[in-house]
Amino acid sequence: MDTMLKRRQFLRVTALAGGGLLVACGGGSSSSPSPTPPDSSNPDSAPGNGGDPAETFAVGEFLRISSDNSIRVLVGASEIGQGALTAIPMIVAEELDADWSRVTSAHSPVAAQFDNPYFGALQFTVASAATRGYFAAQRRAGAAVRHMLIAAAAERWNVEPSTLRTEKSFVIDDANQRSASYGDLAEAAAAQNVPINPPLKDPANYTIIGSTRQRLDAVRKTNGSEIYGMDVDIPGMLTAVIARPPRFFGQPQSVNSNAALAIPGVLEVFTIPSGVAVIANDFWSAEQGRKALEVSWNEALAGRTDSAQTRSNYQASLNLPGVPVRSDGAVLLAQAAASDVLSADYFFPFMAHAAMEPLNVTVDYTGSAAEIWTGSQSQTIDRLFAASILGLLPEQINFHTMTSGGGFGRRGNPLSDYVRDACHVAKTLQQPVKVIWTREDDMKGGYYRPAASVRVSAALDNNGTITAWTHRAVTQDVTSSLYFEEQLDTLAEMELPPLGELNDLETGMPYAIDNVHMDAHLTLIPQMPSLWMRSVNKFSDVFAQETFIDEIAHRYSRDPYHYRREMLGNNPRLLAVLDGVAQAANWGNPPAGRSQGIALIAHWQSYIAQVVEVSVTGDRELKVHRVVSAIDCGTAVNPDLVVAQVESGVIFALSSVLFGEIELRDGVVQQSNFDDYPVLRMHQTPQIDTVLMPSGDNPGGVGEIGVPAVGPALANAIFAATGEQIRELPLKNLNFVIA
Amino acid sequence: MAKLGFTLNGQPLEVDVDPSMPLLWLIRDELAMTGTKFGCGLGLCGACTVHLNGSPIRSCSFPVQAAAGQAITTIEGIASDSALHPVQQAWKELNVAQCGYCQSGQIMSAVALLASQPNPSDAEIDAAMAGNICRCGTYPRIRRAIHRAASLAAVQVFDPGTGTAVQQEVV
Repeated sequence: MDTMLKRRQFLRVTALAGGGLLVACGGGSSSSPSPTPPDSSNPDSAPGNGGDPAETFAVGEFLRISSDNSIRVLVGASEIGQGALTAIPMIVAEELDADWSRVTSAHSPVAAQFDNPYFGALQFTVASAATRGYFAAQRRAGAAVRHMLIAAAAERWNVEPSTLRTEKSFVIDDANQRSASYGDLAEAAAAQNVPINPPLKDPANYTIIGSTRQRLDAVRKTNGSEIYGMDVDIPGMLTAVIARPPRFFGQPQSVNSNAALAIPGVLEVFTIPSGVAVIANDFWSAEQGRKALEVSWNEALAGRTDSAQTRSNYQASLNLPGVPVRSDGAVLLAQAAASDVLSADYFFPFMAHAAMEPLNVTVDYTGSAAEIWTGSQSQTIDRLFAASILGLLPEQINFHTMTSGGGFGRRGNPLSDYVRDACHVAKTLQQPVKVIWTREDDMKGGYYRPAASVRVSAALDNNGTITAWTHRAVTQDVTSSLYFEEQLDTLAEMELPPLGELNDLETGMPYAIDNVHMDAHLTLIPQMPSLWMRSVNKFSDVFAQETFIDEIAHRYSRDPYHYRREMLGNNPRLLAVLDGVAQAANWGNPPAGRSQGIALIAHWQSYIAQVVEVSVTGDRELKVHRVVSAIDCGTAVNPDLVVAQVESGVIFALSSVLFGEIELRDGVVQQSNFDDYPVLRMHQTPQIDTVLMPSGDNPGGVGEIGVPAVGPALANAIFAATGEQIRELPLKNLNFVIA
Repeated sequence: MAKLGFTLNGQPLEVDVDPSMPLLWLIRDELAMTGTKFGCGLGLCGACTVHLNGSPIRSCSFPVQAAAGQAITTIEGIASDSALHPVQQAWKELNVAQCGYCQSGQIMSAVALLASQPNPSDAEIDAAMAGNICRCGTYPRIRRAIHRAASLAAVQVFDPGTGTAVQQEVV
């Protein structure tokens, strides 16, 4: 494959862009079929991904309608398993009245017109924001292009546009019994004026949105042909692994590479800021070379985080006021007047994302341009950092967003750690190179869900009514590394979302309590790389909130479901899912020998309530039998994808709650692979039932909503079974035997 | 380096490699077949599962030399030219894959299970699939898809013309 050809092709295609969503529509056509043979490393022409010989027209910047009437949608969000490359094209196809059976999709280039409107000027697939972020803009775009296709047909047939209708990628003139395909009209349509405010469909007339459609990548992900970053192969490509310090941000002091270089296939060894790179012809040689490497590390400034010490520090901080994040009424007054004030403290450890595909980046840097291939949730910032390291303008880098083998936040690092590493390697090497992380590199590589302590308290009157609620969180600021001067310089041009929002501290405590005070200590630990992980601080905050509610309910002999119900009078959507899950789970009547727990959360514009059914034997064998969820995500663009995300969230949460713990001792991570960092396996997986209760509002996020309430519902079920109050995770540390 | 011969997806093959290299890296790096995935390197996650004479093995921790003279099958080798394997067909129907990275290994384990037990119970599925991790949490669908594949495979009929089983269209 000739990489230069590909680069030119890329520039030609993006040259159509003119700022603003559809402004380039008037630009006419571009014959984009590649003169190069299909390139397996380029998602744009991956197997099953197109590469059709028909002439194509860029209608708008995100949509290609081919003369054979096939439609290709370029998506600015990243496919990390959630189905973005299916759901987002469905939105466009709906308003376009497209023939869904002829729609394909691919990752877009990194360019402003593909930014997620939710974040402003960023392509950023985090915060459950892909579908809900792009929804309105994609609808408008689809409607605008449909309008232009109709205008083109009206012009051709010399009839009024209002006499025409559209169906399955055809414009139809019923009066004169004729029709024209979108492919036929595309070139003329591109010359039409772009409507500013095209009318949108009444949701009652949706035919694609709201219907379950097979994932567009379903076949490629069952026959092994989907190309992930790990699978990228370009001519002359070498493989690198990086020896990293035992403690975060240690520096290589002296390197003896003689033995490493003696390994057949090992070509070069050199240091980069984060460690020592071993370059070889293939992975196996590189890995053998790394094992033979002798490095002494300067750890004078390295991280010395110790999990036990962190816990004790955080516990102490719980006694000090934090920065208020929500304050309603007068808590102190209510506490003084209360008949009882209860409180509880919780602790949550560091956790690793442990996506199935270990991190990897391929860089082809020639000195004057570069191509990068990697699974990324944060390609805009990744490309910016790459440009600063390689001495290029961002536009000189062709960044290929690859399908990710999982992300969970780890591939959305605003510090771009793994992309920067690879760029340092490529800059020295000036030859195509894939940097591969092993599972151990990935597990020990930092950027974990940060440890957290939480204290909640409730003031109660004689009837068990909560008159005041407090919530204090102590956790590491996952954006703290951004404060370093060097990073801020690189990001100076970026419009970042508010940093506080990125930490996503819980402020949404949903119950009708007059006096509420929530505050937080966001700690700064520069040598301890932490990062958001699926559901961020909701994981710990909601665990504390929802288990404590059960403790109070129990104390006043109230049923946990009814107790919650009474406090949700002004929250009809939460009330609906709470009632929905109680009904679906047959609340109050678990099968013999089992206990139930219930919990809920509203966030990301979605609402969920979940019931977990467990049994606990006398010798503490814990079995999770069933998890039932009721979710209102507004509009379920593809209902089966929503169900899949809830199932996914439930299982992700069970892994975290039962097993999830990264332990640091004097700065050294103790876990290394799936033997000492276990995750849920099939035989531990309960029956999972999910009830969709879409209210019809705008789509809410579903990637994370299935996670936070599972832990407290499970802990509440254990509490119901045994009377034991769960105040820390994971459960494996509490002498449960996980069946 | 050593010359080793074996059969890969029905084709005889001779390679000249480090005999201690894991089979996974021969398949991925030397033979450029990337459907088989690298997940953990220690046989803990199952993403690298291939068949050795029809039985599932973890190719990431299986030295190439142990494959000499044996028949290896990868995810690329289970479909016929015209049709997905019944297990792949079931995976597709039930939208099993999310990120999809573990699914080659899951499917190879499932194909081996169904070859030895054409109509497995949930407990048999759990036992056979315990070595395959999925972080997206597709386990409930995998379980259903294996049952579905069992029923798809049950309608395969013997074609006397070719002497092989032929997949029938299921309505």
